[in-house]
Amino acid sequence: MTLSVAADWVDAPLKQFVGDARVQLAVLLHPSGQVLGQFGFTRSVDVMTACALSAAINASSSELGRLVDGTPFTGLHHAGRDRQVFLAHVPVTGGRLLLLAVFDEESSLGLVQLFFRQFCATAATVAPPANAEVPALSLDFERELNHNLAVLFGRA
Amino acid sequence: MSLVNYTSREITCKIVYYGPGRSGKTTNLQYIYSQVPPARKGQMVSLATQTDRTLFFDFLPIDLGKISGFSTRFQLYTVPGQVYYQTTRKLVLQDADGVVFVADSQARQLEENIESLQDLHENLAAYGVDVRHLPFVMQYNKQDLPADLIVGVRELDDQLNFRGAPSFAADALRGPGVFETLRSLSEQVLRKLGGAPGGGA
Repeated sequence: MTLSVAADWVDAPLKQFVGDARVQLAVLLHPSGQVLGQFGFTRSVDVMTACALSAAINASSSELGRLVDGTPFTGLHHAGRDRQVFLAHVPVTGGRLLLLAVFDEESSLGLVQLFFRQFCATAATVAPPANAEVPALSLDFERELNHNLAVLFGRA
Repeated sequence: MSLVNYTSREITCKIVYYGPGRSGKTTNLQYIYSQVPPARKGQMVSLATQTDRTLFFDFLPIDLGKISGFSTRFQLYTVPGQVYYQTTRKLVLQDADGVVFVADSQARQLEENIESLQDLHENLAAYGVDVRHLPFVMQYNKQDLPADLIVGVRELDDQLNFRGAPSFAADALRGPGVFETLRSLSEQVLRKLGGAPGGGA
C-alpha cells in the first residue's frame, strides 16, 4: 500500500507518522471532507467515503462538545473488535485539519497519540495557508464533461 | 470547497442535494448509483433512521474521469429534509461547491418547498455564501405523478426559481431528469472552478 497526497507538504510528515505510530490507515483531510493525503486505501472512492464519514463525525462531535462542554471536542477514539480509530484536530495556519488513523494490535492508542502530537507540531510549521489558485480548464471542457457523464450513465 | 492538486492533476468537488423531506434527494443518488459502473463509484453511504429517512446524509463518490487533463471526482451528498434536522443540514452544506434543490412537484408540498428554499438561503448566508454566485440547479421531481396532483414546471419556476437557475422536470425513481440535473450542475461547478464566467446561475 502506498501513500498518496493531494498537497505536497503532507507527504513527509504523514509518512513519518504512519511509520512511527505503526498505523494501518491514515487520512489527513479538511473538515469539509476533502482529502489532503492518505496511506493504506487502494481506491480513491473509498478514501472519499472515509473522509465524508470522518468529517461528519467531527462535525457532530464538535457540536455536541459545544452543547455540553461549551467548546468543541477535538479528538475521539473508538475501539472495534480488531481495529481502532483515532480522529483528531490538527491545528494549522488559518484553521485546522483532521487526521484519521486506523490501527490494530501492532500499535496502541498511547503510541498513536504520542506520534500524533509530533505530527501536529510538524504540520503547524510546514502547512501553507490555503491556496486560491484555479485550474486552467480548457475552453471546451463541457464537451469532455458531457462525454464522461454520458459514459458513466451508459449513454455514450 | 473544491480541492485541486496540481501535482497529480486531480479535482474533487462537493455537490449537495437539498430540499424538503421526501422530495427525492436520496432517490436521485440511488438512481445515479444504479447507473454508474462499479469501478467508477464508491459505496453509497446512508446514515438513515430505522424508517429509512435520512438522519445525517447520504454520500456517493463518483469518478468522472479526465477533464482538461484533470482526474475529476464528485462527492454527492444529500441533506435530511425533515425540519428538525436543521443543524445537520447546515453541517453538510459546509463548503459545498454546488447545490441541487430537489423540489417535490406535488401541489400540497408547495409550502414545504418554499420553506426548504428559505432554509437553504439562511444556511448559506450563515457561511457567508452569496447564493447568486453559487452553482445551483432546480429539479422538479415527481413530474410523473397524475397532472391533477402536481404543479407544472412553469408554475414551479414562477414560485421557486426567482433566480432563473437551470431547472429540470424529473422522475428520480425511474431516472428522467436525474442525468440532466447532474450534468447542468457539474458544468456550472467546473466553470466556476476554472474562473470562467457563468459558474453560478
